[in-house]
Amino acid sequence: MMSVQEIAHQAEHTAAEAGQKFDASKVIIEHVSNAPEHPLIHLPRIFGIDFSVTKHVFMLWLVAVLVFVVVVWVVRRYLRQDRLVPSGFMNALEFVVEFVRDEIVQPNVGRKWVNTWTPLVLTFFVFILCANGIGLIPIFDVVGLLDHYVLHTAEDSFVKHMIHGGTTATANFNVTAALATVTFGAIIVAGTLAHGFVKHWKNLVPHGMAWPIYIILIPIEILGMFVRPFALTMRLAANMTGGHIAILAILSFVFLFAELFGRAMAGIGVGLVVSVPLAVGISALEIIVVLIQAYVFTLLTAVFIGMAIHVHH
Amino acid sequence: MTGLVQFFAIPFGLGMIVIGAGIGIGKLAAAAADGIARQPNAADKITGAVNLPLFLLEGVAILGEVFALLVLFLGK
Repeated sequence: MMSVQEIAHQAEHTAAEAGQKFDASKVIIEHVSNAPEHPLIHLPRIFGIDFSVTKHVFMLWLVAVLVFVVVVWVVRRYLRQDRLVPSGFMNALEFVVEFVRDEIVQPNVGRKWVNTWTPLVLTFFVFILCANGIGLIPIFDVVGLLDHYVLHTAEDSFVKHMIHGGTTATANFNVTAALATVTFGAIIVAGTLAHGFVKHWKNLVPHGMAWPIYIILIPIEILGMFVRPFALTMRLAANMTGGHIAILAILSFVFLFAELFGRAMAGIGVGLVVSVPLAVGISALEIIVVLIQAYVFTLLTAVFIGMAIHVHH
Repeated sequence: MTGLVQFFAIPFGLGMIVIGAGIGIGKLAAAAADGIARQPNAADKITGAVNLPLFLLEGVAILGEVFALLVLFLGK
């Protein structure tokens, strides 16, 4: 993420030179980036790695704690009741579990391995869905508004640090890279469990070909092994970042036009006619994207695991 | 040179990515719509079969976009 930090710094410099002029790129980058220069909790550097808790780390923990508490609470309540029929939120949870098991895992992994791999894929699905969904809710922007008009906290308080940067944990490439690394490991483990360690690596290339083909084929397959998790990383993070950037860019028109014409009414007019309807439309689109990206990540994980188990050559 | 890359090559590359992904997704959607129109009760199977290549195609498009943006950011 070095490049984004550098851009943020450059944007700050140019904004400082231009005085109080509105800079759309600075606003967008500040919202989307992890804002490592404004950590929520300062921690020392260990082995050259900055362990400070930033916005995305905070969101990651929030989502993890939320998912854990809600799911454990609902399932415990269901287990305590004396009848088998689920009620309330447990219905929704059962629907999600059955959907992931029957629609995503079983067609790809097969009946034999479905109970081995459903827990992992289900965890991915619930976590990514919650992280994406919470990213849609402008929590920190509301907190910032509240702070500005009601709370009036001190300059370097916890709340003031919170209102720098974005809110979707899965919009950070490092988070999705970690998730894709788990997929990378799961593919190897799946192949090893199904075929044994040596056979799994032999399965990567087709058998019984003339030897010169292997000179080309083996590097391609090794490259493909790394490209698949990389594509998963980029797809999820870029989709989540893209929605935020699009909404902010469209809402920036209000300030850009107000500045261009030198009066506030021009900005308000553009906002009412163009920006707000378009931003509402993109937000509606984002709700679909949130669901689809959670589905895509889990589906592709299941497909790759299935490919390691059922080798087609 | 940097200006040329920034103002010509990267938008050109992004446009090519959009054209490629658009052709791919368009062909997929057209074939799927055709199939569903001929065989409406196979709609679920056709949707399922179309989904995976669609996502892989989207992945390639996003990879191209990410690399274009990387060239923009790192090329300065």
